[in-house]
Amino acid sequence: MNTHLLTLLIFTPLAAAALMSLVPSRGKGLHKYIALATGILQLVLSGAMYYLYRPTEAEHGIADEQLYQFASHVPWIRLDMGSLGRLEIDYAVGVDGLSLPLLFLSALVMVIAVGASWKVAKSVKGYFILLMILNMAVMGVFSALDFFLFYVFYELMLLPLYFLIGIWGGARREYAAIKFFLYTLFGSVFMLLVIVGLYFSVTNPATGAHTFNMLLMMDPANHVPGSVFSALAGQELFGIPARLLAFIVLFIAFAIKVPIVPLHTWLPDAHVEAPTPISIILAGILLKIGGYGILRICFGIFPDAALQSAWWLGLIGVVSIIYGALVALAQRDLKRMIAYSSVSHMGFVLLGAASFTTEGMAGAVFQMISHGFLSAALFFLVGMLYDRVHDRNIYHFRGLASVMPRFTVFVAIAFFASLGLPGFSAFIGEAFVIIGAFISGSTNGILPEWMAIAGSIGILLSAAYFLWTLQRMFFGLPRLKGGDAWAAALRADASARETLIMVPLIGLALLLGVYPALALDHINTSVLALVEWVNKVR
Amino acid sequence: MPVPTLTYPLLATLAAVLMPFLAFLLTAATGKKARNGAVSIAAISISLLAAAYVFAHVWGKDPIHVQWHWFSIGRQAFHVGLLVNNASALMLLLVCLVALPVHVYSTAYMKGDPGIHRYWAYLSLFCFAMLGLAVAGNLLLMYICWELVGFASYLLIGFWFTRDAAIQANKKAFIINRIGDLGFLLGIAILYSGFGTLDIQVLFGTDTPAVSGTGNLTPGWFTAAGLAFFLGAMAKSAQFPLHVWLPDAMEGPTSVSSLIHAATMVAAGVFLLARVFPLFDGTVLFVIAVTGTVTAFAAACFALTQYDIKKILAFSTISQLGFMMAGIGFGMYHVALFHLTTHAFFKCLLFLCAGAVIHEMQHVKQKLGHDFDPQDIRNMGGLRKHMPITCATMSIAALALVGFPLTGGYLSKDALLVHGFEWAATQHGMALAVPCALAVASMLTGFYSFRLLAKVFFAQPAAGPLTGSHATLHDAPLPMRIPMLFLAACSLFPLFTFHPLNDGHVWLLRGLAPDATLPPLRLLHFAIPILATIASVIIATVTWRWYVLGKYPLKPQGALYRLSLHQGYLDALYMRAIIPPLMRLSAVLFWLDRHVVDGFVNGLAAGGRALASAAAWADYRVVDGLVRMTGKLALGLGNALRRSQTGRVQHYLALAFFLMVVMLLYFIFARA
Repeated sequence: MNTHLLTLLIFTPLAAAALMSLVPSRGKGLHKYIALATGILQLVLSGAMYYLYRPTEAEHGIADEQLYQFASHVPWIRLDMGSLGRLEIDYAVGVDGLSLPLLFLSALVMVIAVGASWKVAKSVKGYFILLMILNMAVMGVFSALDFFLFYVFYELMLLPLYFLIGIWGGARREYAAIKFFLYTLFGSVFMLLVIVGLYFSVTNPATGAHTFNMLLMMDPANHVPGSVFSALAGQELFGIPARLLAFIVLFIAFAIKVPIVPLHTWLPDAHVEAPTPISIILAGILLKIGGYGILRICFGIFPDAALQSAWWLGLIGVVSIIYGALVALAQRDLKRMIAYSSVSHMGFVLLGAASFTTEGMAGAVFQMISHGFLSAALFFLVGMLYDRVHDRNIYHFRGLASVMPRFTVFVAIAFFASLGLPGFSAFIGEAFVIIGAFISGSTNGILPEWMAIAGSIGILLSAAYFLWTLQRMFFGLPRLKGGDAWAAALRADASARETLIMVPLIGLALLLGVYPALALDHINTSVLALVEWVNKVR
Repeated sequence: MPVPTLTYPLLATLAAVLMPFLAFLLTAATGKKARNGAVSIAAISISLLAAAYVFAHVWGKDPIHVQWHWFSIGRQAFHVGLLVNNASALMLLLVCLVALPVHVYSTAYMKGDPGIHRYWAYLSLFCFAMLGLAVAGNLLLMYICWELVGFASYLLIGFWFTRDAAIQANKKAFIINRIGDLGFLLGIAILYSGFGTLDIQVLFGTDTPAVSGTGNLTPGWFTAAGLAFFLGAMAKSAQFPLHVWLPDAMEGPTSVSSLIHAATMVAAGVFLLARVFPLFDGTVLFVIAVTGTVTAFAAACFALTQYDIKKILAFSTISQLGFMMAGIGFGMYHVALFHLTTHAFFKCLLFLCAGAVIHEMQHVKQKLGHDFDPQDIRNMGGLRKHMPITCATMSIAALALVGFPLTGGYLSKDALLVHGFEWAATQHGMALAVPCALAVASMLTGFYSFRLLAKVFFAQPAAGPLTGSHATLHDAPLPMRIPMLFLAACSLFPLFTFHPLNDGHVWLLRGLAPDATLPPLRLLHFAIPILATIASVIIATVTWRWYVLGKYPLKPQGALYRLSLHQGYLDALYMRAIIPPLMRLSAVLFWLDRHVVDGFVNGLAAGGRALASAAAWADYRVVDGLVRMTGKLALGLGNALRRSQTGRVQHYLALAFFLMVVMLLYFIFARA
């Protein structure tokens, strides 16, 4: 298999950004076409990788290198640090069944985001360059197998996002941008401490030097005896087992991204203030980085602490599901409602992951992918409305179905898909999260049955807020706050470009709902490896 | 599992299910041009033929059971599969048999509606989902079809989406059905955790762990699973207290109501319970029997006083579904399915007749330009003369509903009552209340059915739109009349047995009979049908006197009357006791989110900023202040000392002399 495909996928946007910086700002049309071409190239690359990937059963759990394909491993930084040994930082990338679907999702969402940026008029050049840097960072995060590299990409993501929200956002963009930035930074600063601690606790058996390699960090055989995060030493920090503390720190860092209640309040502000394409990226990709980090890093490196905390993770998931759904019910701003619905839907990811059953965890990964498509579609639809009349208040619209029939069809499909109608991907994700959480009680005894039952109430509430919104905004006789001016603006139903963007999103949600094996065949081996990996610690 | 070989019955089953789906796709793709519904009608006709073929092949013979691999989670494989046994073959045929007349009827009834292309698409989707549900071989697939049925009904109920009532009704229907869906989903989860499979044949075939009560599940979880499935059926089959969506669901076109109330949608719950019947233990069966009876009784009471012709029929559906549920609870699911079948024909017919009446009333309304409710039976009367065929067919249907001899309803309802008493004999003493309540409900059925007939067709029209001689009403056009006549024929006894008065020979019951039936009480099999018939005749006479001859003795202001008219104030209760607290909770949580959670975050930020300004102040005033003070001190000292540097020799000499004097004095006095 071609080992350079993945590197190509990650760094294409960087080349595109470099190219863009050479194009003068006056060549306005060119930047977006470069961005689109980059996105499509990445989509083709990730699609090819998806097609070429061969799921193989891992013998040594999630730390098995066999699991990771398209792997590329090059020494990056080597520094002699005297008594501290040699610093070993590698450019190590590779994908497995957890990351590959998310990579493909990211590539698709990026194309959608470029499509949604078509009408951006303010400093186009800077906008697309930042978008490309963000693109590279995201791809890197999902591919990195070296923790240091991961952290570099992870932090690199923040910078373009801060500017994209802070410059191109809505009225309160600066507040939202700084809130988003600080929230995430708060999580990742402590992550750095854990990374350093891990570095000194793990050695590479081949060279004897300390290492940042994640796969080596997962295997307790590589732990330095007596080191702070050694699985056997049982060290304590501040009276708490060190590994548990490290797990909690990493979990909080990623949980902010997911987000969980009560660390979620950056999300409504960031989503509402961000321009449409950035909302799409935030919901479609950024939230998944949280879920991915929890599965790959928290669970992979600290399975023992993960098991210890599983009950609490499940509880957090349930609380997020119900709390997010209830607060969504109270919203008057359509975009904010969808933002809170994201909190609710991502709660399923946490609940499924915490069940430590193959059903629940596969459901969680599936839910991430499904939510990626669907939330991108939902935010794009809100953007379509906002572009036309610059209003999103649910109560300012009525009877849109008679005014914009095609738009209404899209909204209805996206709403029903999101509320878990069978035939769409969200159903598979949510149903298997509930089933996984339920059987956890009788198979591994981690989550009690009531959590599954409470989680299923979220499915009911999601029907309530989506259908209520449909009823309020789209049905009934048309009555618009802006009167004839709005009616005239809205008469332009979904354009060809907008239809072209919506169709693949809905099509993929449908395809995965009808034939989930397309994703599950890739997800399965990794989920099995992870579940067995964690259960081995018991 | 090897790939199943494609036999003709299997292909026919697939064709029966997939044809309407194909029609849905075609109609949806054609868009506004698909106005005449030819595609949908052709599809359902093919489905009917295929279903008949399947029925002939399966009934009383080996079931078709096939499955294809669908996807795997971990090492667990999930399949799409078919399980066509007697019950599903019957259901398959019944759905097609009822759906085809409704399709034909719709060509005339929905003529000229601007959204007709959507109507055909939705109708085909609805049929597809229901047919899929009938043959689904595992619970996951069944759940999918189950939800799709709900989704299609959402679309159909809200077909006239500019009407507020319609879109309120479809939202209500979907959300209440979602409550049931959760029950179904949890039932699936419980069974999956206990047996690791969702295949219906593997779960509920003969001698399986789920039937014999072995496996990983404790008896408590068995009961819980049974109750969870029943919750699903309660919502779908409109059982008390989750029935509130069904009366509102009539906001859809009447032809849709006829389909929803007959063989599709509401039948799904009863069918589900029949499919998973071996799961139920005594507790669950008792709960089902009681819930069914309460529903049958309460809905019959609500039907007594309604004025909307469709609402009366809606409550009668709920009541009859209660009868079916009770039948399941008695352990006699074959009788329940029999009643489901007879009910499907006559209830569909009742709605089609009501549709014909409403259609005519609407014409009158348009012609006269008056504003009146075309569905209100107080505006009707004497329609027998204008619409004889509608009158005749609706009378047949109503008699079947009442359970008059020579109709299908007579066979099935009396069988249910008989089994009710037989069941009570096997239970504790109080259980006798159940069949007694059912018997009373059955009499109430007679009352509201005859009231409806009397007020619409036989009584003199009250002061209203029909009193003038210029009212020109006539029977429905041919495409509406033929389906009505066809269904009227199906409502009579010959379809089920050639022995009009004895249910013992009904082929349908023989084909479905469970292994264990209740010990028969011979006397009841004679006594109950006779008593019930006598009661019906008496009730018919009374209603004739009250409504046709105008000797109505009651005052419509009593508390009981109002309780019935307002359907026991259940809707009001939900609107006051459930929705507002939920909305308030959601508003409170949002407030907390904004002010407490986010307040904390903003407070942290404000704290950070305050700390920063304090540090800045300290930096400027204290740290930098010290530095500046040092500087100033040096400057001041320098300034002060600068004065002495005058450059005059006399000054320096004077200073030196002065210092010498001071030192001398110091030495002299300090030494001393």
